[in-house]
Amino acid sequence: MLSRYTKLYYLFCKQNLKVMLEYRMDFLLGVLSVMLQQFAGIFFVKIVFDHIHALNGWTFYEILFIYGIAATGRSIHHIFFDNLWTLGWQYIRPGKFDRLLIRPINPLFHFIADRLQQDGFGQLFIGIIVIGTAMPHLGISWGILEFFILVVMIIASGFIFVAINLFFATLSFWMVDSLPIVWTIFNLSDFARYPLTIYHKGIRHFLTWIVPYGFTAFYPAAYFIKGSGFERLALLTPVVAIFSCIIAYWFWNRGLKAFTSTGS
Amino acid sequence: MRKYIEFARVQMQVHAAYSAWFWANTFSILLRMLVIYFFWKAVYSSRTEIEGLPFEGMITYIIIAMFLQMFVSGVGQELAHTIKDGNVAIELMRPYNLITRLVAMDLGDKVIHFVRGALPLSILAFIFMDITLPSTWQSGLLFLFSAFMGIWIGTFFDLLIAILAFWTINLWGLQVMKEAVISFFSGALVPLILFPEWFQTISLFLPFQAMVYVPVAIYTGILTGTEAWLALGSQIFWVVSLFVLLRILWSIAIKKVTIFGG
Repeated sequence: MLSRYTKLYYLFCKQNLKVMLEYRMDFLLGVLSVMLQQFAGIFFVKIVFDHIHALNGWTFYEILFIYGIAATGRSIHHIFFDNLWTLGWQYIRPGKFDRLLIRPINPLFHFIADRLQQDGFGQLFIGIIVIGTAMPHLGISWGILEFFILVVMIIASGFIFVAINLFFATLSFWMVDSLPIVWTIFNLSDFARYPLTIYHKGIRHFLTWIVPYGFTAFYPAAYFIKGSGFERLALLTPVVAIFSCIIAYWFWNRGLKAFTSTGS
Repeated sequence: MRKYIEFARVQMQVHAAYSAWFWANTFSILLRMLVIYFFWKAVYSSRTEIEGLPFEGMITYIIIAMFLQMFVSGVGQELAHTIKDGNVAIELMRPYNLITRLVAMDLGDKVIHFVRGALPLSILAFIFMDITLPSTWQSGLLFLFSAFMGIWIGTFFDLLIAILAFWTINLWGLQVMKEAVISFFSGALVPLILFPEWFQTISLFLPFQAMVYVPVAIYTGILTGTEAWLALGSQIFWVVSLFVLLRILWSIAIKKVTIFGG
């Protein structure tokens, strides 16, 4: 079962890679564009920190570290799960989703594997550089255990992005295209690029317990920042990721049951 | 002319039909305003001014710049998609100028965005976010003129980039890259006076600062007197040169269509 899906995913990826190599210029353009976009955000933080020493007690490198984790986590979502954006307008509205339903594999798997988004590699690349730049300045010693936790945190962050998008994309089963909602919710992740402590309490709780974007960057980063006061909460990150994925998948299955296709 | 006005009108009606996107947009802008507010509140928590700008001045700049940035892009996406799916060939046969039609539709878009989005939201910002009015009515008037220029510069630039769709299929990448460069150099994120010297010098020679920075700097009183008039002059220069460049590139690109068609 698992090996069959692994093999299938590999085959899907191979097809996607072929497309990528066919349009090399576009691949480069995509990667470069995302890198520039990330760079603009980092440059902004740098400019602001040229004029201040700390943001509510957070140093430049700490902010950079949060930023890096957000970018890397999001790149997982961007590279492997980008198709979630297209459920409404590319699958359900044109009636293409029915194609996935008659195949002998899990429709969600098929839907996700349909696309590998090369543009996300730019984000991954920048994210890793940013994390690497910030790491030596956090005042902790990096051993194997810390690296391991960091990787787990980043993967968890990626899956929280995925779960949130999946949850709201699923609404498309009832309303044909939920993209405006998915997009609005996704914009909430902008909050997560800065320490949540700068926001009003209500916003902080909302981003922690309702739409858990706080766990995509700030809390995981805070684990490595001594005296941040969030080290314990940060350890919940993988739990939140798993929990969010379960809820989103449950909701997806409900959506599938309710789905009656378009045009009927 | 009448037919283009009609296009603009229809575009406004299209918008009214997609209310989900309207609410999504409104809500997203509100969120961004919140992020901006809290971020700058935190920045100013330990000081009273940065480069001569107090908190009120800064937040006024950032919020006005954010609203203006929404208007400096145009119908590039539409044009790029028309090119990508090949419809451009059919469009070129129709009894109108494709670019003019798109610009007309864009105007319709912008008017409706202004009335339904930017206007109510900026009133909200005025009430809740310590945003100030221009110090003098002259600078207010100058701002309106300058913003108008900036919007045209943005519109032309957007179309210029879109024409590149004749050569690439990654429209999304093109769009993201354009937005990144604009938010970089236009001063949409922070006033350019906060940037290092060398960066300010570079951006002086680029059209991007004329899109957002110049109008908003006039509004907030960063640019006054002779400096403001000089900046306005550079805006006029950019409007004219981008327009000419657009004409030239478009005529080159159209020839490419004919070649493909055989």
